[in-house]
Amino acid sequence: MPGDPFLFLSGDQGEQISAYSDEQIRQYKACYGLDQPIFRSYLSYLADLFRGRLGQSLYFNESVGHIVLRRLPWTVFLVCGAILFSTVLGTALGSLSAFYRNRLLDNVLYGFMMFFSEIPAFLIGLFFLFVFAASLGLFPLSGALTSFSPDRSVVQVLKDIIHHAVLPVAALSLTRLGGMYLLVRNIMISIIPKAYMRTARAKGLSRYRIFIRHGLRNALLPLTTRIFMSLGTLVGGAVLVENVFAYPGLGLMISQAVMVHDYPLIQGIFLVITLLVLSANLMSEVLYRVLDPRVKDGEG
Amino acid sequence: MTCLVGLVALILGSCTGPRTPDLPVMENGRVEVLRMEGGDWGYPTPFAHYPRGPGGFKMALIFDSLLERDETGLIPWLAESWEISDMGKTYVFTIRKGVIWHDGKPLTPDDVCFSFNYASKHAATWATVFGVIEQVETLGGNRVRVRVNEKGATLLYALGTCRIIPAHVWRGIENPRTYLAPEALIGTGPYRLTDYSQEHGTYRFEAFDRFWGPQPRVRVLEYRPVGEPILAFEKGEIDLTSVPPDLVPRYAGNPEFALVKSPAFWGYRLVFNMEKSPPLKNTRVRQSICLAINRDELVEKIARGAAVPGEAGILPPGHVMYHKPKITYDFDPAQAVRLLQDQGFHVADGQGEITGAPLLDFHLLISTQEVRMAELIKERLGQVGIMVHLISVDGKTRDARVRDGDYQMAIIGHGGWGQDADYLWSRFRENPSLSPSTSGRCGYLNPGLNVLLDKQHVALDPALRAKLVADIQEILAEDLPELALFYTADYTVYRPATYDGWMAMFDHHALSHSKLSYLDRKDGVH
Repeated sequence: MPGDPFLFLSGDQGEQISAYSDEQIRQYKACYGLDQPIFRSYLSYLADLFRGRLGQSLYFNESVGHIVLRRLPWTVFLVCGAILFSTVLGTALGSLSAFYRNRLLDNVLYGFMMFFSEIPAFLIGLFFLFVFAASLGLFPLSGALTSFSPDRSVVQVLKDIIHHAVLPVAALSLTRLGGMYLLVRNIMISIIPKAYMRTARAKGLSRYRIFIRHGLRNALLPLTTRIFMSLGTLVGGAVLVENVFAYPGLGLMISQAVMVHDYPLIQGIFLVITLLVLSANLMSEVLYRVLDPRVKDGEG
Repeated sequence: MTCLVGLVALILGSCTGPRTPDLPVMENGRVEVLRMEGGDWGYPTPFAHYPRGPGGFKMALIFDSLLERDETGLIPWLAESWEISDMGKTYVFTIRKGVIWHDGKPLTPDDVCFSFNYASKHAATWATVFGVIEQVETLGGNRVRVRVNEKGATLLYALGTCRIIPAHVWRGIENPRTYLAPEALIGTGPYRLTDYSQEHGTYRFEAFDRFWGPQPRVRVLEYRPVGEPILAFEKGEIDLTSVPPDLVPRYAGNPEFALVKSPAFWGYRLVFNMEKSPPLKNTRVRQSICLAINRDELVEKIARGAAVPGEAGILPPGHVMYHKPKITYDFDPAQAVRLLQDQGFHVADGQGEITGAPLLDFHLLISTQEVRMAELIKERLGQVGIMVHLISVDGKTRDARVRDGDYQMAIIGHGGWGQDADYLWSRFRENPSLSPSTSGRCGYLNPGLNVLLDKQHVALDPALRAKLVADIQEILAEDLPELALFYTADYTVYRPATYDGWMAMFDHHALSHSKLSYLDRKDGVH
């Protein structure tokens, strides 16, 4: 990635910049070890990594670990909220669609999902911002918390956090909703004609019990895989949504770090995200074994 | 299903419905709180705020300097008076008495000495005195004497705007960039920082009740994050914002709002690498390029009218030392063609067709922000037979390539065009020891200009200096070592009923950046 993190020759329109002199740049590079040969720098970086240190941000004047730890919970909250919302809603709507297959409800839902799932997350975010925040005033325009309100109870703070998260989560969820809906719809369509479903109906069980206990249970496996596999793309979507809503997560931090070429911070954030995604894949494997005893039996 | 209904109820329960704007109102010229657009610009100490953005101006609310900038120039601040002697190598400042640090301790001349010595060793983000000072010492009578390495016309400004920090806090701090303790925010300024969140991009300042100077008219300054500033302003979440030119009619003529056009101190320039591209060494070629580019068109189509066309003498029209050169370059492609023909280059005929093979062929290095501007320039230059190929990279990459001389022509956009005219010395003085880190200049040599630049660099007499700078602008207009394309002049909107104390410093474009905007200057500085 070309570009000197200490060189400020230009800026965004209207932006104030303070250009460093050559002497200043030399001093800063010596301070951060950037005047060292590249192999020595790399070995030093690896050594710090094994000690749990992600390095020092060149631009934000703080340790990368502290910056990431402060921002990570907001992105995790956003991504988990989007997964929860898109999974629950996608499952419910996909099941409905499967049950009323080829009828009006199915056709309307199918068309709606096809349309909205192709719209990029940031465009949906902007639409929500203008309609629900600016025009209707139902939600805040930006941020994760109401600023400068220290004397509040825990419940009030939680309500405020949820209030601020509704639009970003909704924007992120809509982009995943279509995929979840189609997956559940297709699985349920293949499950409904099965013999055990016919048996359950013959036993006089309620429709709700048949769907949840007998139908959806078999859809859990591919759904679980889909949830964990979509984490990587959701984090990518979170980058755009956080920028639209000025949400203080890692996504916003990445875009700022890339703009100023803060290499240690970029490396640190990508490393953390990579570890999160790999951990999610591992959890998916573990959960799969719990949900499907045949996997364990197959190994035996 | 129960879970889904519960989730929807939780969401709806957290909605408070539409809110009417809660606008602060000025009473007796004072207001309780002003809210402005936030964003993280760094911990506001002189060493930790970021080099991009308004972090330094937030820092200046906390930390005073010996002099301050108002609409017309420098005014006394922590220094009541000053003397310059020894041909501009010695500065004696008389420090104001009765100034208190935010922790209640008194400011002493030792603090001033310490601040200069510390800033000489550890470069502040606004490094005005780094590498400049030879010696600092206290004299009797609350005076401090500063001896500098070399005399310079801008040294009063550099010394006067260096931030004064408390010795009892900063002594022993070896890495000031990472010193982020609460004590690091002890200053003598009119405001104290009471709340800062890096991830949320929020700042909250409260007026210091024992401030030595003009009393604050605003008790609390809040900077809060906004996704869309115009929307936030309309909803009353912030009290001042920049307005894109398309939205100016929305506020113009409305008595509820005041619309102010900022000074045109941010601009774009076209730089030439004469070392890498020998045809650009030819003055007539550069003049042809200037004649072929329609700067009014750039103002209209790129800046949508919110800009001023670039001046051949480089300094913008609002600059305190601006001089209109005798030679001007109105858009004249026919004249551009004649100049190129006189020099023996192949040009386009009257229908814009190229006769023979084009000889003038350049690469134009830009960032992704300047693509539209570059396309217009490419089209105009193509009409006179100059072929241009655009190379678009990200801003930092472009900066690095300009610094390394890896370009033929480049467009750079930055602020600071209103600063002291001595930046012409950095940009155009031919000197191997001067780095293009802040200039972008490459291969230009004019011995006559060098003499004038050196003279103004050390001239202390304002009238003599103004004459020298005027002569410099005449030479620059004739030689055109680079082209000033246009200077942006943004609009700012605010509600006068909420607050009306906004002002712009004589060399800076933004109203909200000066701390004098928040102080009652009718009190004066005594």
